[in-house]
Amino acid sequence: MSQFLEQIINGLVLGGIYALIAVGYTMVYGIIQLINFAHGEIFMFGAYIALMLITVFGIPFWIALPLSMILCGMLGMLIDLVAYRPLRNAPRLSALITAIGMSLALQNLARMIWSARPRQFSPEVLPTIFLSQNAVTLPGGASLPYRDVFIMVLALVLMVALNRLIYLTKIGKAMRACAQNPVAANLMGIRTNRVIAITFIIGSALGAVAGIMVGLREVVTPTMGYYKGVAAFAAAVLGGIGNITGAMLGGIIIGLAEVFGAGYISSGYRLAIAYIIMIGVIVIRPSGLFGKSTGHRA
Amino acid sequence: MKNQLTPKNITFGLFICFLPLLMYGIDAIALFLSHRNIYLGFPSGDYMLRIIVRAYLYMLLAIGLNIVCGFTGLLDLGYVGFYLIGGYTAGLLMARLGVNYWIALPLAVLNGALWGLLRGAPTLRLTGDYFAIVTFGFAELLFRIVKNEQWLIGGPNGLVRDIPPPSILGVVFNQNWHNYYHILILLILVVFIAYRLQHSRVGRAWVAIREDEQAAESMGINVSRYKALAFAVSAAIGGLGGGFVAQFQVNISAPFFEFWESILILCMVVLGGMGSIRGAMIGAAILGSLGEVLRPGFIIPYQFGGSRYLIFGLILILLMRFRPGGLTLRKAS
Amino acid sequence: MRNWLVGLLIVGFVSILGCQAQDRSTSQTQRAPRELKVAVAAPFTGNAAAFGEMIRRGAELQAKEINDAGGVNGMKLMLVFEDDAGKDAEASLVAERIANNLQILAVVGHFNSSCSLAGKPIYQRAGIVELSPGSTNVNVCEGSDWTFRNLYRDDFQGKFIAQYIDKILTDLQSVAVFFDNDDYGRGLRNAFVEEAEKIGLNLVASEAYDRDNTDFKAQLTSIKAKNPDAIFISGLYSEAGLIAKQARETGITAQFFGADGVDSPDFLTIAGSAAEGTYLTTPFTFGAAGEDALQMAANFEEMHGVAPDTWAALTYDAVGMIADALEKTYNPEASVADNRKSIRDHLASLDTPEEGYKGVTGLTYFDTNGDTVNKPAYVKIVKDGQFVAAGQQLLELD
Repeated sequence: MSQFLEQIINGLVLGGIYALIAVGYTMVYGIIQLINFAHGEIFMFGAYIALMLITVFGIPFWIALPLSMILCGMLGMLIDLVAYRPLRNAPRLSALITAIGMSLALQNLARMIWSARPRQFSPEVLPTIFLSQNAVTLPGGASLPYRDVFIMVLALVLMVALNRLIYLTKIGKAMRACAQNPVAANLMGIRTNRVIAITFIIGSALGAVAGIMVGLREVVTPTMGYYKGVAAFAAAVLGGIGNITGAMLGGIIIGLAEVFGAGYISSGYRLAIAYIIMIGVIVIRPSGLFGKSTGHRA
Repeated sequence: MKNQLTPKNITFGLFICFLPLLMYGIDAIALFLSHRNIYLGFPSGDYMLRIIVRAYLYMLLAIGLNIVCGFTGLLDLGYVGFYLIGGYTAGLLMARLGVNYWIALPLAVLNGALWGLLRGAPTLRLTGDYFAIVTFGFAELLFRIVKNEQWLIGGPNGLVRDIPPPSILGVVFNQNWHNYYHILILLILVVFIAYRLQHSRVGRAWVAIREDEQAAESMGINVSRYKALAFAVSAAIGGLGGGFVAQFQVNISAPFFEFWESILILCMVVLGGMGSIRGAMIGAAILGSLGEVLRPGFIIPYQFGGSRYLIFGLILILLMRFRPGGLTLRKAS
Repeated sequence: MRNWLVGLLIVGFVSILGCQAQDRSTSQTQRAPRELKVAVAAPFTGNAAAFGEMIRRGAELQAKEINDAGGVNGMKLMLVFEDDAGKDAEASLVAERIANNLQILAVVGHFNSSCSLAGKPIYQRAGIVELSPGSTNVNVCEGSDWTFRNLYRDDFQGKFIAQYIDKILTDLQSVAVFFDNDDYGRGLRNAFVEEAEKIGLNLVASEAYDRDNTDFKAQLTSIKAKNPDAIFISGLYSEAGLIAKQARETGITAQFFGADGVDSPDFLTIAGSAAEGTYLTTPFTFGAAGEDALQMAANFEEMHGVAPDTWAALTYDAVGMIADALEKTYNPEASVADNRKSIRDHLASLDTPEEGYKGVTGLTYFDTNGDTVNKPAYVKIVKDGQFVAAGQQLLELD
């Protein structure tokens, strides 16, 4: 039983991280129908930027976190500006190929800058609360580090904040309008390009947080964006791509499915089991768990 | 495509036919000069021939993917799955059961088509990115299966080794120029089939489905049947490519069929221009050899050897920026 | 018009390939070559790029030392680095590129077993030595006269670890295997499991992980439920370090055991205090292997700013072996094919301990297959954040 409880916690932590990345995919998709393959790389850059800020510039963690969110948001906006905006009226797949090219370029750029060796936040530079020794002991002897609690809480807080932003603020309303119909939104006086830029900023900033979380728990490598990015994308689709609440739940479901797949079924098929669940859901409900039937946008 | 025997076309045909001779000519000269300690600053013909064989292979695969992506307009992110099916069908039959290549190759094609239909059945209802992600999941699943099921594959990490080369009447086909003509014949066959399909009732039905599925259905086109046919043909071509590559590589393993290959083939199709056979071939010729052209030495100095794929990515971005409709630009419908 | 465009593109591509000067400096006419070229093929990009980096550094150090000491018979040893990205498809192209380059005399590489296997038929056809410093799959050298390796095979090491646990660490009653689902990790695990079953070791769990993942808690939690006394981590240090760390966080108190893939200072950095007490096998220990190895480690750190790992040391030796062969057999008058063949013949003649090449990773000599035989395995243990030789070594295998 205690094993079960531990696996649930593992799944929730992982799921929270996936959800934060998935939100970035789904927000961009909701507005410009682009699978932003480079989002996984933005997430990776977020981790590296925070790592650099902390270890090279000696900035305390609590300042480096928002700072890298800002820098990563800028990076996301910049990518949109130089790569995607010129292709707004081009065939959708052209933008997809641009995103793939961007992903490839960013991943290799990171490898050239920071080398391929895995890096991590060294314990000396982190607030002591994040050290793995500081933990709550669960029934059954497992320890739940405060760090993991922090990850789950932060993910939840950011999700709720995002949800409030989308549904209660003016910019959120503009985003929803753009997602429904960009042309009509434009006619209503919404500056579409600005809304898209803000979407990229928010998505990238959340991706940066996820990157830092992975850096705290695991390691930072140039290829981390790919693996976690693909899983997060699956989460976004599972929840109904374009739907933010769906992406959050999709992230949690994929995280739990991955952990339970690896823990109870077969560890070699870890993510594959999550994909099987995803395929099952899509085949039964062709637009994801929460998606509206917008099938003809292809 | 007008099949006219203009001098230009004949020259081009002859060039394609005698390309290996040209390449081996280069090698012969280089060898001759090396005895006098003169080294040409020139990669060898054999190496270039292998690049060309691989580019032809990618052309074949790109044409196959183009049937689903270009003709019927569905985004397929798991094409490599069929390539994998073909590769392992032929590879396992030949290496573990000793089946003759000329029997194993058609079986690989059939198996590919079968899996195309199997995958097609549950995805007929899906459109757009939901279809894409299911195809991705399918290919990823197959990839994990070859990685994990060692009792089936034989080696760790999906390794099938020592796949024997094909032979006819005791002549063993294991040189690069053998493979050149081998893939050339397969490619011509595939181009022919794809071309005939494109310009037949079937091809027009596919385009109708791409443009508007509901309208096509109301015009009396059996959408499910034509989609299934597209999946089967596309997958069969993937299987053919896999069957060829099994003997070409001698040893195959799981990384050969990873997700990146799907993406690469998709890039070829989009880069050349969706829905055009010639576009797919041009895209494949460029991206299939770009990785090698960008090897350090000429364009990239040795110090920046690691930047190969960075430049690859930037080229993709720039090509799409300036030719968003693909290189063989047609009026986007 | 469009046909012309296509034609132009093809011609352009061929000519770009054609002009790709392999090396500008030697493209002019030269009488006797003043430099000898050896290719080093490894994954310098892609998922395994971290290992490629160490391979490059090891090779660079050896080449620098040789050239500083006057080169090979007065000729400079020049390394040509070729990237196979850790993928077999690229490896076969790289192999063709190297094999047909008439200036390259031998190849040190590849790293991944799948890449070595992909290159094998091509190197064999062209007649050029392939000396792998990293491929441990059992079949890599089989069936080709031209393929060698200077490290031991999966089956030896798996057997060694199983017997070490059985004979020396007798208080360990149950063992779990946590393996990298790749050719190295799985090959090693297969050999270990086979031997463990034979000698009756109590295997309680065997879980896989993938190299692109960095979260191992799910598998570790299920290993923990089986409560093993020891966990054999069959994989590479980048993941093994994280596994050790995450295992301790999960509350696992078992003894860790690793193979040569774990032998890197990075393992200590990543795992931190969790590495403490880990046993691992290695072809050499910088502490115990003698002056040479210590000297090499010091030079390496001076040149590159990081400590060497196993692969760096193995590559260092592999390049040294090729240079040694060149020194003994290279004939400026003979043709490339003959020189390549004489390197092979020299390596093949290293078939007894007396003939063997003595490098920092110990004595290397080959059997008829080209596999390294009887390279001793040492056991190290992590103590106070340092690798030290374990108190008891296992000298003879059953």
